[in-house]
Amino acid sequence: MPEPSKKEENEIVDEGIDVGVSRLTEDKIQSVINSVIDAETGARLKIYVDTCIHCGLCSDSCHYYLSHNNDPAYSPVGKVKQTIWEILKKKGRVSPEFIRNAAIIAYTQCNLCKRCAQYCPFGIDIAYLMLVVRRIMHKLGVTPLYIQDTAHSHSVTMNQMWVKGDEWPDTLQWQEEEAQTEIPNLRIPLEKEGADIMYSVIAPEPKFQAQLIYQTAIIMNVAGIDWTMPASVGWDNSDMAMYTGDNEIMGRLKRAHFETAERLKVKKIVMGECGHAFRSVYDMGNRWLGWSMPPFTIVHAIEFYHDIIKEGRIKIKKKFEQPITLHDPCNVVRGAGLHEKARYVAHAICEKVIEMHPNREHNYCCGAGGGVINTGPPFKMTRIEGNRIKAEQLFSAKTKGARVLIAPCHNCHSGLHDLVHHYEIGLDIKFFGDIIYEVMEKPELGREGK
Amino acid sequence: MRNIPLIALFFLIGIIVTINVGWAQEDMEVVDNSVFENHQRTPSVFFHDEHNENAGIDGCAECHHIYEKGERLEDESSEDQSCSDCHNLEGGDGQPSLIKAFHGNCKGCHLDEKKGPILCGECHVK
Amino acid sequence: MHTFYNFVSGPLTWIAFLLFFGGSFYRIVNMLFLVNKKEKFIFSYMSWRYSLRSIFHWIIPFATTNWRRQPVLTVITFAFHICLMATPIFLLSHVILWDESFSISWWTLPDVLADVMTIVVILGAIYFLVRRLSQPEVKYVTSASDYVILTIVAAPFVTGFLAYHQWFAYPLIMCLHVLAGNIMLAAIPFTRLSHMLFSPFTRAYMGSEFGGVRNARDW
Repeated sequence: MPEPSKKEENEIVDEGIDVGVSRLTEDKIQSVINSVIDAETGARLKIYVDTCIHCGLCSDSCHYYLSHNNDPAYSPVGKVKQTIWEILKKKGRVSPEFIRNAAIIAYTQCNLCKRCAQYCPFGIDIAYLMLVVRRIMHKLGVTPLYIQDTAHSHSVTMNQMWVKGDEWPDTLQWQEEEAQTEIPNLRIPLEKEGADIMYSVIAPEPKFQAQLIYQTAIIMNVAGIDWTMPASVGWDNSDMAMYTGDNEIMGRLKRAHFETAERLKVKKIVMGECGHAFRSVYDMGNRWLGWSMPPFTIVHAIEFYHDIIKEGRIKIKKKFEQPITLHDPCNVVRGAGLHEKARYVAHAICEKVIEMHPNREHNYCCGAGGGVINTGPPFKMTRIEGNRIKAEQLFSAKTKGARVLIAPCHNCHSGLHDLVHHYEIGLDIKFFGDIIYEVMEKPELGREGK
Repeated sequence: MRNIPLIALFFLIGIIVTINVGWAQEDMEVVDNSVFENHQRTPSVFFHDEHNENAGIDGCAECHHIYEKGERLEDESSEDQSCSDCHNLEGGDGQPSLIKAFHGNCKGCHLDEKKGPILCGECHVK
Repeated sequence: MHTFYNFVSGPLTWIAFLLFFGGSFYRIVNMLFLVNKKEKFIFSYMSWRYSLRSIFHWIIPFATTNWRRQPVLTVITFAFHICLMATPIFLLSHVILWDESFSISWWTLPDVLADVMTIVVILGAIYFLVRRLSQPEVKYVTSASDYVILTIVAAPFVTGFLAYHQWFAYPLIMCLHVLAGNIMLAAIPFTRLSHMLFSPFTRAYMGSEFGGVRNARDW
């Protein structure tokens, strides 16, 4: 049977993967693989592989498969076949070249979005199988360079973006001063023990998108929330180690995050509009630390906005006029069921909401999640070409009148931005926070101050 | 005149069917299955005299047995009765149902003797 | 013929049933031990409510998104699996054998209906074969073992169909039928036919994760 050609992968140069592969021998590969399989996997891996009846019914769930004209090599089970089946069949004795291909598949051709789990009649968790492959790759030292750099940053600085110790409070102070031009008595309370809420963000916010912290400060202030942010490590809720397969660092990060909340004696953690961080705090990191559910109430920004709008803590002055369409981020929709709350917020702040299809927990992934966008420039086109189907979905929403795309997740935001740009769809992309900041009622004094 | 082959075919089928039925009526003997209202299988093929000659069965009671209180009465036989006089369709009271009685009587003996038909279709011939 | 038939329907059938029940029990207990040993956390997520919710959606035709997306496959796979399970259990000839051997019996299918159901299984198997050979996404992940297990499942029905109609060498077909049935039974716990045993568990776990943690539908 002719195997579909996957030429483009051989042309990709990723120093992390290629240098890692150059150091491997079959003996080393086999011993590492078997140590992972023996020590870290159990019934799930065995039963999933033994139960799969090779029916291919997961194929239609995957945006990579659909975007590559139904090329079976991109179907979820096709990716399992090229990785874990072969690994198990050969009892771990596979070639370095095989490892290279498996790493590219697991890190860049699967967003771990779990849509396939909804399509498999047996509920086989294919994303889990891909995570096992990533764990093996991490242990083999075959990780894409760019995402490995963020994992290094996590390890050294406890944040994703090499933000240095003093840069963090400096950035908050800077945004506080900026926001005071609008609301003179506004504060971003640092280290306030006993506050109701600890607000945590991902490191790219202070690094590149400080205005998001500004907007949040305004919203918190107007809503009269008793909140705080930590001045020390633990402020970053992001977690790329989770996606490289470095579970130990994932555990350190989440422990720091939870312990910071504990130290500040807050009632709950509210986090910004980020999907993977939510997955890390709510689903994966907590489990690694032994918590079946997070030790703190974790409130994602969508839910937080929903609550403060519903409770009347913020009022909408004038709804956002341009028709919007709403992207459902996997990690908070398929991962936490926030889709109806997202719609509540969207309808509360926008004149017109145009649904894209499929939606809610059957949404198509943005193509950036699962750490794929963090593998950086070498795989940018893998991600964009692998999600033509999302571009078509966005385009169809646009033809129905949508002008603005709300993506309440950082990775989705960036990934969709690349899609919109590449496929020339022409949609503005915004966070909920951007629009809420724009349409909410703010104190008159603040307005005069501006 | 293209219909000639077709007509010929019908004739041929008709002849074969007639001959078949004729043979069956002449030579075949089957176990009476009229008590089964909704029987699923063809009646069991059974050539009474030929069978007994081959099997060397002399006494009627060999098959046409009589049981009393679970004991088989050696010197009594029941060839003047129908099997269904004793064995009803459902069975009960330690009495095998009619189907089970037939099967036990024929197949049971064949298994014991390691001779004769034991597969469904060997008696219930289509 | 007596000797061969007695062998396949006697000792061999005992062995097949022992392997089927014993093997199934072993595989499930083994799985639970493994979960207990290495992934104990799974127990803490299991929920009867969400397990059953998920299982019910997936065992009802067209109750899930993917069943609705694949109407032909859905009709065929449900018909195939229902007939596959029900025909041997409620077949008159089989129940008569149970009655003769162990004096236990239960409701039976009319032979004509059982015949139709057998044809459904055979046609279903042919459909799956054609699907494997012709659909690229299925063909890509197909290995020799997939054809083997399909054959193992189809064989008792093909031979049973031939035996019922008494075509070809009836006594031989009949013995092959018993043999094929025994092979299928014995193969269930030890091949990927074990999806019969494990799919309720995998479904239940995914249902529990989606219901209890993810607050989302897994259908």
